[in-house]
Amino acid sequence: MTLTHHLLLGAALFLIGVFGALTRRNIIGILMSIELMFNAANINLAAFNHFLHPEGVLGMTTALFIITVAAAEVVVGLALVLAIYRNCESVYAEDFNLLKG
Amino acid sequence: MTMLEHAYLIALIPLAASFLILFGGKEDPHSPLPFVGIAAIGWCLVESLGILYAAISGAALPYAQDWSWFSFGMTAANRPFVYDMPIGVLIDGPAVFMLVVVTLVSFLVQIYSLSYMHGDARFKRYYAYLSFFTASMLGLVVSSNLLVTFCCWELVGFSSYILIGFWFERSEPAYAAKKAFLTTKLGDLGLYLALLFIFVLVGSFQIPQIAQFVSRGYMSTAAATLIALGILCGAAGKSAQAPLFIWLPDAMEGPTPVSALIHAATMVAAGVYLVARCYFIFTAAPIAMETVAWLGALTAFLAATMAIVCTDIKRVLAFSTVSQLGFMMCALGAWGLTAGLFHLTTHAAFKALLFLCAGSVIHAVHTNDMRQMGGLSKKMPLTFLTTFIGTCAISGIPLLSGWYSKDMILERVYEHDPRLFIILAITATLTAFYMFRLLFLTFLGTERDKDKHAHAHESPWPMTVPLVVLALLSIFAGALLDHHHLFESLVTGPVSPEIPHPAPPWLGWSVTAAVAASIVAAAKLYGGPHFETAQRLKAAWAPLFHLLDRRYYLDDIFLGLVDLGDRAARLAFWIDSEVIDAIFVDGWGAVARLAAKLSHLFDDLCIDRTVDGTGGLSVTVGGALRSLVARGLAQEYLMYAAVGMSVLAALTWFR
Repeated sequence: MTLTHHLLLGAALFLIGVFGALTRRNIIGILMSIELMFNAANINLAAFNHFLHPEGVLGMTTALFIITVAAAEVVVGLALVLAIYRNCESVYAEDFNLLKG
Repeated sequence: MTMLEHAYLIALIPLAASFLILFGGKEDPHSPLPFVGIAAIGWCLVESLGILYAAISGAALPYAQDWSWFSFGMTAANRPFVYDMPIGVLIDGPAVFMLVVVTLVSFLVQIYSLSYMHGDARFKRYYAYLSFFTASMLGLVVSSNLLVTFCCWELVGFSSYILIGFWFERSEPAYAAKKAFLTTKLGDLGLYLALLFIFVLVGSFQIPQIAQFVSRGYMSTAAATLIALGILCGAAGKSAQAPLFIWLPDAMEGPTPVSALIHAATMVAAGVYLVARCYFIFTAAPIAMETVAWLGALTAFLAATMAIVCTDIKRVLAFSTVSQLGFMMCALGAWGLTAGLFHLTTHAAFKALLFLCAGSVIHAVHTNDMRQMGGLSKKMPLTFLTTFIGTCAISGIPLLSGWYSKDMILERVYEHDPRLFIILAITATLTAFYMFRLLFLTFLGTERDKDKHAHAHESPWPMTVPLVVLALLSIFAGALLDHHHLFESLVTGPVSPEIPHPAPPWLGWSVTAAVAASIVAAAKLYGGPHFETAQRLKAAWAPLFHLLDRRYYLDDIFLGLVDLGDRAARLAFWIDSEVIDAIFVDGWGAVARLAAKLSHLFDDLCIDRTVDGTGGLSVTVGGALRSLVARGLAQEYLMYAAVGMSVLAALTWFR
């Protein structure tokens, strides 16, 4: 188990997240994919901390911060989803095209 | 001498009076301001009589006094110098008598007008005009500078214009005023050219200097002839010589005292006086002298014939004035300066008298038409008596003033050219005929209009007193002035080269006999209650009567000329507007408009379309692109970002 394996895991996870965010119709799913991308970043942070600076904890603490912020972000995101749902009676992303120019 | 030194005031005081009357006080039919004018002209009369007395008692004449008027720089023969234009008075023999004539007649006319114009809406203004008229004429008389003389000459014309058209509410006086003004201006053109010529030649407008120039022989006969004819042109307009006399009969539309003033003293005398004043130029030009003489004789004869058929009392007098002016001109042209001026002086007295008498009659019966008068002698004995005296004087009844002056003219003309004498003798006979015709038709015979006759009455004293004064002058002026050759000795100073030739004694008596015969003829024709003989004559000679009644068609000829000018102007206007404008203005405009339209079309279709097209293309392409790309779907935007990032990453990786 080397750093490379960890980074490959992180990259795979991030790409899964990106794929999910781009392809899911349900915005709950998009929200979950975004969580996946957060966690891919967290794996990278933990791996770099462990293999490059084992005596330090900066990577670990940053990962912890990100988990906290992500939790808060999910709260805000779900609240938005609820608000949208109440307005539009829909949870599918293609129905929300208010930004159309 | 003091009187002479203040001679310039004679012109200035009536001028001041006229402005005082015009601008002082309110317009009021009972305004007291006319007395200012009368006082001013009264003072002038006293001054003029003083000058006459000084001249008789031996004061040196001519008396000249100059002041500097204005100066200007000019160059002559390549040397700059300052030219000084003087203004001044020149009192010579003719001027002395003119002053007395003008002031006396003006004074009497102003007194007469007190009653005649009383109650007129513009009473005050009338007096302002009278004073202005007199001032202009007096300025003309005394001025030694021909330029000032010309200014006054024009002011006289202007004054006559406002006075002839005094009752401008009616169309006839307005028309007559215009006619008088324009006709005299026609003559003034010649006078103006003559003055310019004089200045170019002599370099001065001062009469004494011009006289010196001529007497030294510097002026060629041709130049003198041209100048003299120019002056004659002006004089013919002002003094109503043929063919410019057409304005005078119409000028009768003015108030009658004004007619008296115009005919006796101020307006028509100006022409004769100017010729007398410039006599030295005329004597240097024999052709001009002959022209003056023949023009005068022709005018005298034509006017007398026209007077015979006239029925308007004032127009008969107007024609007689024209005729008498012809006498004066003829005398001047026949080297008779003294005779001409003597007649001017005596004529002023009896013509003013006759006009004021006519005014008195018109005042009483309110008509100018002699056919509606008749038998007025019982109603207006004083007017009848004075008219009778005036008629006798103008007809040349022996020992009255007209006899002296007319005799002098006839003798003078006989010596010069017997043909002229014959014309003037016939004219004198006609004069007696038409004047007595006037007297008979107006005062004697039966009253033809009972209503007008019943309302007639003798005029009040401001009108009759001037009549009496003028009647006395008409009787005695000739004898007084001829006494010891008083007039001749004053006038014939350095000017006239008259050589006395004793005329044959039968000359005067034969004319007097002819006059007496014509008076008898007039009495035969018009004395009785009916005019059968006159009517028969009129029927027999109808074409001639018509010719005289139409005034030899001169009015029609002049109007025709004016009409011709009018038509020519219309034609020129038509050519200008319809041809010249159509081609060079409107045509060019149309061409320019066409070019502009083409240019506009090119601009619109090519240039503007290109600009608009470019913009439109961007808008269309942009719109299409936008609707293709920005569909408002967040996932698409995210995908663009991801693709972009991937591309960037790939580029970084494979660099």
